[in-house]
Amino acid sequence: MPSFISLIQNENMKIYRRMSTWVMIGLLALATIAGALMIKGTHKEEATGDWKKQIIAENQTLKAQLSEGNMPKAYNKQLEKQLRINEYRLEHELKPIASNSFWGFVVESSNLIEFITLFTIVIAAGSVANEFSWGTIKLLLIRPASRSKILLSKYAATILFAVCMLLFLLISSFIVSAVVFGVENVRDPYLAYQDGRVVETSMILHVLSVYGLNSVNLVMMVTFAFMISTVFRNSSFAIGLAIFLMFTGSQITMLLAAKFEWAKYSLFANTNLMQYIDGIPPVEGMTMSFSIMMLLVYFAAFNSLTWLIFKKRDIAA
Amino acid sequence: MKPVLQIKNLRKDIGKKTIIHDLSLDVFAGEVFGFLGPNGAGKTTTIRMIVGLMGITSGEVLINGISIKKDFAKAIQHVGAIVENPEMYKFLTGYQNLLHYARMVKGVTKERINEVVELVGLEKRIHDKVKTYSLGMRQRLGLAQALLHKPSLLILDEPTNGLDPAGIREIRDYLRKLAKQEGLAVIVSSHLLSEMEMMCDRFAIIQHGRLVGIESVQDLVNSSQKVLLNVNPVEEAVSIIRQIYSNALRQVTKQGIEISVEREQIPAINAALVSKGVKVYGIQTVAKSLEERFLEMTGGNEIA
Ligand SMILES: Nc1ncnc2c1ncn2[C@@H]1O[C@H](COP(=O)(O)OP(=O)(O)O)[C@@H](O)[C@H]1O
Ligand SMILES: [Mg+2]
Repeated sequence: MPSFISLIQNENMKIYRRMSTWVMIGLLALATIAGALMIKGTHKEEATGDWKKQIIAENQTLKAQLSEGNMPKAYNKQLEKQLRINEYRLEHELKPIASNSFWGFVVESSNLIEFITLFTIVIAAGSVANEFSWGTIKLLLIRPASRSKILLSKYAATILFAVCMLLFLLISSFIVSAVVFGVENVRDPYLAYQDGRVVETSMILHVLSVYGLNSVNLVMMVTFAFMISTVFRNSSFAIGLAIFLMFTGSQITMLLAAKFEWAKYSLFANTNLMQYIDGIPPVEGMTMSFSIMMLLVYFAAFNSLTWLIFKKRDIAA
Repeated sequence: MKPVLQIKNLRKDIGKKTIIHDLSLDVFAGEVFGFLGPNGAGKTTTIRMIVGLMGITSGEVLINGISIKKDFAKAIQHVGAIVENPEMYKFLTGYQNLLHYARMVKGVTKERINEVVELVGLEKRIHDKVKTYSLGMRQRLGLAQALLHKPSLLILDEPTNGLDPAGIREIRDYLRKLAKQEGLAVIVSSHLLSEMEMMCDRFAIIQHGRLVGIESVQDLVNSSQKVLLNVNPVEEAVSIIRQIYSNALRQVTKQGIEISVEREQIPAINAALVSKGVKVYGIQTVAKSLEERFLEMTGGNEIA
């Protein structure tokens, strides 16, 4: 019986020996560089302005909005938090982190995780479905490795690809940011708002948590694509459906959430864990732990369906 | 001798349709065994059940006595197979393909991979991408992946598909060598009787998912041959033959007397004729073709 490591080696060979994978990696690098240059080009003036004056002006608006008091509670909380952090900045002479600074761009480039999600969906959708369309599934499954083990190795290699891409993005955003914007504000802290108090934490921790929370959405969408591709054995269908849901799922959920409370049980109401840190959950009363529970349920459901179908299916390809 | 492959009352239902009905047969080490049947007879379906790609509705498949259903990993490690076309990863080289399958079994070394590459004669092209291979080369690579782990049962589904006569002859010689020298049990399927005749020791005839019969090629060739006797005087010869093998006589034509006997009876007839003073100018055996026998057996149609 083969070791799990050799099965993953096989899956890796099938991922990285293909041109299309390297095109995706190249695109990600290009997007990082292009993003940095674009920000550099558009943010020239902002840096020269006096940041204190800007914050004071912003605080006045915030206060005015708060005193009106006709906004939802969660929204007010958000304003309050912004106000407190701004006051802390004035008090301690801490310049806000601009997009065209080292940390600013590193945080900004975490938006490219959407790209990684997209690319990993492509890998996930192909992992099982391609073996069927290539006809290689017949030779793959007549070895002394159980179908469960083979399926797990495919899933693991897919997640491993995502992790590598995330690391690649993180490292390349550090390098690109340092080269394009310099490392002036590298020692600046991140201001977090915890239990009504502003605390200074490290920026790198903040970046890692942004990556971590964004990866939740990635893992869910990739698991979904993996399931669809295993059930329907068609990678384009899996890619199409997963990407369509990725871009419309949260909007549809928002529309539903405005009318129906049960919208909080939908997958997309819960994938964005950032909403509990600097945003507003779609349905009032939702909490981080509720969302994590829901995500675990979906995760288990997707994976068990994938496994059941793959294990039982007659291979007639 | 214990059979390498035992199929017992194998049955496959897909939906409401029964594709394979109650199939039983044994295949032994050292023989090339054929599955012969027209397209759609159920050869590939049977092979898929043997190698565990398809579930078994009822019945049993044992490989070296191990049930493929109950102990898949243990049973399948004795099997090398190509099911339908030898489809490989086209974007990988031949060698990388073999490495891929080598990693999936314990104990296949780099040396073994090289040995198999040499065996199938792919040394020169093994580091080229499979997409540049001809069909014949893909067949060889397919054979290589099936032999990597030294299986005791080799299954090839329509191995001669798309090959030219030279390629077919090569495969035939190679399979016979594997069976006779290495002691493998080899199963090949085909819809062509002539191929079965060339490659196999025995073959099962499958029609509409049922086993029609199992034939030994040797027996078929030996059993009741048509023999043409060129003798003088004809009348006397006919009466002598009537006396010893009353059923053998078929017809008397200008060419001679046509009889139908088993191979072993020919010398006896000759001796009888000579001893009674009949002049024997020629004994010509017109081997009854397998084709004819086959048509007799299957009701005379269906085989492409
Ligand atoms: N997945 C399937 N669903 C329904 N019928 C099938 C399926 N696969 C094969 N069959 C039917 O089973 C029969 C046997 O097919 P197959 O084993 O491929 O024949 P052969 O290999 O002898 O040409 C055919 O009549 C075919 O239509
Ligand atoms: Mg077939």
